Amino acid sequence: MKKPDLKVVLLGDMNVGKTSLLHRYMERRFQETVSTVGGAFYLKQWGPYNISIWDTAGRERFHGLGSMYCRAASAVILTYDVSSMQSLLELEDRFLTLTDTVSDDCVYAVVGNKVDLTDVAGDEDSATALGTPTKIRRQVQLEDALAFYKKIIKTKMLDETSVPPAEKLCFETSAKTGYNVDTLFEGVFSMVVPLIKKQDGQEDTVNLEQSNSHKETKKGCC
Amino acid sequence: MSVQAFRLLCASGRQHLPTGIQIECLECSGHDLYLGTSDGFIYHLLLVEEHNSDPTGLSLTHQGDCPNTTFSTTPQRQKQLGLKKAVRELRAASAMSRLLVLCDNTIFLLSSESLEPVPGAKIRGALSFTLNENPVNGDPFSVEVCLISSKRRTVQIFSVGQEKVQLLKEVATPEQPCALAADGHYLCLALSNHYITMNYNTGHCQDLFPYPSEQKTPIVKRISRQEFLLAGPGGLGMFATVAGISQRAPVRWSENVIGAAVSFPYVLALDEEFIMVHSMLDQQQKQTLAFKEGIILQDFEGRVIAATGNGVYVLLPLPLEKQIQDLLSSQRVEEALILAKGARQNIPKEKFQVMYRRILQQAGFIQFAQLQFLEAKELFRTSHLDIRELISLYPLLLPSSSSFIRMHPPLHEYADLNQLTRGDQEKVTKCKNFLMSYLSEIRSTEVANGHQEDVDTALLKLYAESDHESLLDLLVSDNACDLVDSVSWLERHKKYFALGLLYHYNKQDAAALEVWVRIANGDLEDNTRPDLYEYVVDFLTFCRDPQLVWQYADWVLQKSEQVGVQIFTKRSSDVQLHNSFNPDKIIDHLSKYHKALIMYLEHLVLGKRIQKEKYHTHLAVLYVEEVLHLKSMNTSEQTEETGLRTRLQNLLRQSNLYRVLLLIDKIKGTDLHLERALLHGKLEEHDQALNILVHVVKDCSAAESYCVWNSQGRDTPYRQRLFQLLLSSYLSPPCTDNALLVAAVDLLNNHPTEFDAANILHVLPENWSVQLMAPFLAGAMREHIHALRMTQLAVGLAKAENFIYKQQKLSMKGKPVVLSDKKLCHVCRNPFQEPVFVRLLSGHIVHTHCATNMHVNSSLSDNLPNTSKRT
Repeated sequence: MKKPDLKVVLLGDMNVGKTSLLHRYMERRFQETVSTVGGAFYLKQWGPYNISIWDTAGRERFHGLGSMYCRAASAVILTYDVSSMQSLLELEDRFLTLTDTVSDDCVYAVVGNKVDLTDVAGDEDSATALGTPTKIRRQVQLEDALAFYKKIIKTKMLDETSVPPAEKLCFETSAKTGYNVDTLFEGVFSMVVPLIKKQDGQEDTVNLEQSNSHKETKKGCC
Repeated sequence: MSVQAFRLLCASGRQHLPTGIQIECLECSGHDLYLGTSDGFIYHLLLVEEHNSDPTGLSLTHQGDCPNTTFSTTPQRQKQLGLKKAVRELRAASAMSRLLVLCDNTIFLLSSESLEPVPGAKIRGALSFTLNENPVNGDPFSVEVCLISSKRRTVQIFSVGQEKVQLLKEVATPEQPCALAADGHYLCLALSNHYITMNYNTGHCQDLFPYPSEQKTPIVKRISRQEFLLAGPGGLGMFATVAGISQRAPVRWSENVIGAAVSFPYVLALDEEFIMVHSMLDQQQKQTLAFKEGIILQDFEGRVIAATGNGVYVLLPLPLEKQIQDLLSSQRVEEALILAKGARQNIPKEKFQVMYRRILQQAGFIQFAQLQFLEAKELFRTSHLDIRELISLYPLLLPSSSSFIRMHPPLHEYADLNQLTRGDQEKVTKCKNFLMSYLSEIRSTEVANGHQEDVDTALLKLYAESDHESLLDLLVSDNACDLVDSVSWLERHKKYFALGLLYHYNKQDAAALEVWVRIANGDLEDNTRPDLYEYVVDFLTFCRDPQLVWQYADWVLQKSEQVGVQIFTKRSSDVQLHNSFNPDKIIDHLSKYHKALIMYLEHLVLGKRIQKEKYHTHLAVLYVEEVLHLKSMNTSEQTEETGLRTRLQNLLRQSNLYRVLLLIDKIKGTDLHLERALLHGKLEEHDQALNILVHVVKDCSAAESYCVWNSQGRDTPYRQRLFQLLLSSYLSPPCTDNALLVAAVDLLNNHPTEFDAANILHVLPENWSVQLMAPFLAGAMREHIHALRMTQLAVGLAKAENFIYKQQKLSMKGKPVVLSDKKLCHVCRNPFQEPVFVRLLSGHIVHTHCATNMHVNSSLSDNLPNTSKRT
């Protein structure tokens, strides 16, 4: 098995669409999924790197496994359902504590899924005026997610100036239509890949080739 | 559908144990099987594996299957520890011939042969223990025992040698542990409601995850270096590394798992009714074996053993190859490939590569049969499939000369494409299109190496069959098509033009031409090229075989003289072929084809500018004949005649080589007056020529332009003579024709400068008024005055120039040179002995001989002063 260079973990309450998001990204299609048991993971080849993406189970009974999945993760994608305020609150209450084990420079992303079910993002009034019956009222606005993101930064005591801005890491997606899904994953990947190089620096394996070249340069100096 | 990964074989029934006695634990090391019972007995049995050869000989086909392997046990010794307590755990340390037995919270060290306890070597106060399979201390004569002490919240690490035990470490745990596994410095512990890993050197703990404490037994199992398998919540089998990271997705067990074992690439779990087999590679459940009342499931040195209270069973893994083949035959390509890749570490590299290649190829054919061409192609490519395996599926595509035989055992079950598609023509077409694109893609790559002929021939057949345009591209580029096979195929599919190309590529131009000519003649039907005739002409033009060219020369000329003659006119001159295509021979051959001959001669005379009288005359004569012929036809084709006459006239004007008299003879008595005039002009008989133009042709402008071009490059008097001749021609006969007079006046008035006015005035009729002549006179006067002034100017300038020269000459002469005794030669510094001297441009005087020397040594002139000093 190829050893992954990076770990990205999807967290969120049950039934917000974590598996569907991942499925849409990996398989390019939407499929009705069953409740995830325990967890599953995919390997994604991203340039020269292997990124493992962990899909966790949202159900309460598997909650205990979360912190192990999150251990040494480079990115955590916190997922909620835009039509459920509760799912966003759950992130704060239940899932944020799981991320205590992540790597130091972990990237947090906040994702509101299922925008296809609701009206156009941030345009609530017009949708209600049209009165489309199939649409559900949106309960979470993008501003709520931005506020939540800022809260994460605060509680993790991260330096607000060194982390990416909230606008870059709060997404609204639809696994069903594919809206914004690639933007989400690729956006997150492009932010975590630079971290690999940092990790390389702390590598404890001795790289023979490197040490050789060091010797040679020394000779050159003399 | 599931895979058969294991077979459950009974090794020992209840016969060895007294009734009512239960197996509590077991250990297996090589052929030695140890059982620990509820009444404190240890039984040593010999586990015998037997491969019964099948008497019918059918087993040969299922070598990998081992359907006849059986296990049996024969009792060796037995030992009662005398405690009447159940034996909890058994571990063999085979390198030391010792057996570790946990009974009544004490670990006893027994000889593995005699089962006699080693005196003094025991560890008291142990609740549970494990052997560290990856001890940090690599001493082969001791084992590392990790145990949960009966002291509260304590684990202890012992080193156990052949005769003695030694406590290495005692570590406190956060809570009371109830199960453990060890790897290196790490322990994995099940606490009351969660799992942790602990580094026993540093005491550092790492929480893993909680498990529901109502669960009967936590399971902690080391599965590989630094990785453990744990029973998690919701019946999950969780993987965790010592660092507390999960690298594999969990497997789904049932809620009440009693025991787990690993046999790569599978994890097995035992519950009350079943043994479940999951793949570690894709986390899927692969097999379920019914197994009731099981209490133990463990792996010992790769052998998985399950036990009930009184029976021992071996789970015999089926060879991976067999499993993969089963998956493939049930079309589960993805799983087969995952399994094959996962098996990489467990199979020697060489063997693996051969096996894996074959699996990829088989998988490729499965995808192919499902018309999953993209996937199939990728598999064929990565597995370096002998492309002929694929081609041979298509009937008749391989050349009959091909020595190819399909691989044995076969990679797939299909005889040919028809069987594969069950005759569905749409599918057949798809398959053919796939092969077409695949072959064209690989034909120039190394995949086709060595089988170029088979590949190209197959491709040719496919193209021909499907009327594909690339057929021609294939044949005109480098190819290795088998000739015999391809010829018959192309003939069958009526691709005659392509057939010609094939012949040509194989250096059989004669055959190629024969086919093409037959198509052009309509004997064969092939509409590939509507311009086939032009193609053949072109082909012959570049053909280097004179015999062929001459053979088909008549054919092409008969079809079209104008186009056909290109085989000679457009032919590049080649020294080697010069003899075969010398102009005389060609002219001779073309004598039957007038138009072609004219074109060829034009090519020689006008194109190649060959300066031979013969050709020029011949061409001129042909022009004349042709013009006369056309005239005699007296038909509508005016344009052709005019065109031809223009060409004739141009030749007559430009060439100086043809025989003028012969031509005058030729056109005598015809109305080719202009031409006659031109011919006379060539003979310098300008009066005759102009007379014809003025009086016969009556074309004044032609006459004027005659004068202009005939005098080109000649001096003014010649030109003036011509114009004067023209004028006299206008005026010569008793001047009755008014038109001629007007022409004469116009000529004078328009070209006043072309005449010598003084002479002209005598010729002019006296009755012409000055007014009429005014423009001429004015023009002539102006010209004269202009000439006069120009001359004066020239004289003036010449005089001035002359003065300049004179002045220079004088300055050169300067003063007289006085030669006296005191004068010394400028070069040798000696006095002059004779009156003769040379005066240099600089004014210095030197001896004559010095001057000559100086001239010779002019390059040394710089040294002269030095030389003079010395002398």
